Amino acid sequence: MNEQPRHANLLCIAFGACLLMSAMLIEAPALANTAGILDTTPLATVDGRQIYEHVCRGCHMPDAGGAVGAGRYPALAKDPTLVSRQFMALTILMGRRNMPAFGARHAIAFGGPPAVLSEAQIASVINYVRSHFGNHYKDQITAAEVGALDRSIP
Amino acid sequence: MMDESGTSISRRRLLSMIGRAAGSTAMYQAMHSLGFAAESSFRDPVQLSAAPKGASVLVLGAGIAGLVAAYELRNAGYRVQVLEYNARAGGRNWTLRGGDRYTELGGETQECRFDPGLYINPGPWRLPYHHRGMLSYCKRLGVALEPFMQINYNAYLHSHKAFGGKPQRLRTVKADYQGHVAELLSKATRSQALDADVTAEDREILLDSLRMWGALDQNYRFAKGSDSSERRGFDRDPGGGLSARPAFSEPVSLSDLLHSGLWAALQFGDAYDFQTTMFQPVGGMGQVGQAFARELGPLIRFNAKIVEIRQDDKGVVAAFEDVAAGSSRQTLRADWCVCTIPLSILGQIPMNVGAPMAQAIAAVPYCTGLKVGLQFKRRFWEEDEQIYGGVTYTDLPIGQISYPSSRYFDSGKGVLLGAYIWDMINSMDFSSMSPADRVSKAVEYGSQIHPQYRQEFEHGVAVAWHRAPFAMGCFGLWTDATRAQHYDNLCAFDGRIVLAGEHASYLPAWQEGAVTSALDAIGRLHQRALAAGAAA
Repeated sequence: MNEQPRHANLLCIAFGACLLMSAMLIEAPALANTAGILDTTPLATVDGRQIYEHVCRGCHMPDAGGAVGAGRYPALAKDPTLVSRQFMALTILMGRRNMPAFGARHAIAFGGPPAVLSEAQIASVINYVRSHFGNHYKDQITAAEVGALDRSIP
Repeated sequence: MMDESGTSISRRRLLSMIGRAAGSTAMYQAMHSLGFAAESSFRDPVQLSAAPKGASVLVLGAGIAGLVAAYELRNAGYRVQVLEYNARAGGRNWTLRGGDRYTELGGETQECRFDPGLYINPGPWRLPYHHRGMLSYCKRLGVALEPFMQINYNAYLHSHKAFGGKPQRLRTVKADYQGHVAELLSKATRSQALDADVTAEDREILLDSLRMWGALDQNYRFAKGSDSSERRGFDRDPGGGLSARPAFSEPVSLSDLLHSGLWAALQFGDAYDFQTTMFQPVGGMGQVGQAFARELGPLIRFNAKIVEIRQDDKGVVAAFEDVAAGSSRQTLRADWCVCTIPLSILGQIPMNVGAPMAQAIAAVPYCTGLKVGLQFKRRFWEEDEQIYGGVTYTDLPIGQISYPSSRYFDSGKGVLLGAYIWDMINSMDFSSMSPADRVSKAVEYGSQIHPQYRQEFEHGVAVAWHRAPFAMGCFGLWTDATRAQHYDNLCAFDGRIVLAGEHASYLPAWQEGAVTSALDAIGRLHQRALAAGAAA
């Protein structure tokens, strides 16, 4: 039994697991209750605000304040970890714990196609969040940078 | 189980010597290799042999897995304590009725205003006939079951892009699809196209079976007439007296049918998990959790939010806060811990387990599913459309509409499942809306199938599982790759802690996964406790 307190290693563990996982990820097995005739239209907009409102807001909340219950959703408002646009991009690409992955190579399909955000959409929503909700980061991320980060994931 | 006859006494003594000399792990290994510690499988009823005197277990979470574990361990004589975040038992096993209030993450509170006797199950809602564990506990705990209508030939398949948006009865789509395929296959058979695969003798049998399966006429055609109408229904049903003569209905063309895409929804009732007969508890799925809660009584402590789980080589301590009283941190200690907290939440709780289990916990994202329940002034689906239970499938974002499998012909109000959204794209979009917007969207989409919605709708409730404070997700989304890498590590004991729940099963989202994972976990726990008890 490992006596290390778990939370000390949490970030490394989560990230290590994600890195390993993404290399092997294949499409989820088709469960009986999937797809059928459902007509799913992927989000077309590249407007950061709209992406936030259709995808992120469900957990991170309208004011990006996060939420607390038996567990919590982290606030993105005034969030110091957003200082790293790359950290944010990798989290969106690969997912984290119960947050699904949104990168085309990593997203899991269930009951229809996976919810995939393009590199341009990911860049756009990052730039939106990092310049709203009390965040005032001046630097921006580009779609090309998101793409390069994605390719760095084995 | 221990064999009390023959040589078992001396073996037991031998085992206890191993335990004293080499510790409980070595003793467990010895028991295992001597065949004492067989893997658990579902037995009806489950019977663990007597617990070691004074042995205690802490069960975290009073969902189905935690309740099953607590119930069986208590029956075996363990001292059991259950900690539950909610003020009720059941977890995702849950029924919303009139008068219930539900506050989701983000702080919005919905008040369910359904009439007495009407309800919606935001979580699980149906029990396949082969989920023997769930059915067995319902029977043992006195939870009455009634048939759940999964398949209704008179419910609809609907595509807003096909047949002018007009919903089609499942009956006609199924009959026409089967009829056209049978006709094509019989054509190929009779033109010798299949002779390489079918012997002359088999050919005749195959043709007979195709005619029967597809409701073909004497000439192996699927055409308007009595054969096809006996499957797809009539334009005017046969009756008695002078108005007796039936009017046959016209099959839809093969091309229209193929292009409609509706054939893709025909397989639902054929899947093992959805085959007839299915069941539901009378009065709502939440009856199961409530029945367990009555059985366990004061063993469950509600409103307990787990904030830390810590083990050493003697036992496990859970630290928790009482969210109702707002009290400060308290702790409970036991020899063992069965932890059923969803991975979505467990991943955030400090817990000293090794890297394999910790990585497994972090590797499973959660489905974003959600449901909407809608109350209407009358049961128009029965009165106007002769739909009694079952499910309509649609290509609209609501996914499906399900009609209640109870209180048929009631002249009062009724509640529909107005949206059951599984797919990631639509469910995230709906989860991002306020509860009121989810309800009004469900009404807007549903009225494309049932125009009566506009007149008859009263009010509704919407539960988005990622916003449920006690679950933070619908169920664990495994892939073949994550299972290969992490599943066994998730289920294996780490010291004195074992996990259970649908996430620790090959039945994701099904309560039977929670039941069987709990039974598997406590079976292994029991063997370890016996080994440790004998070693003490």
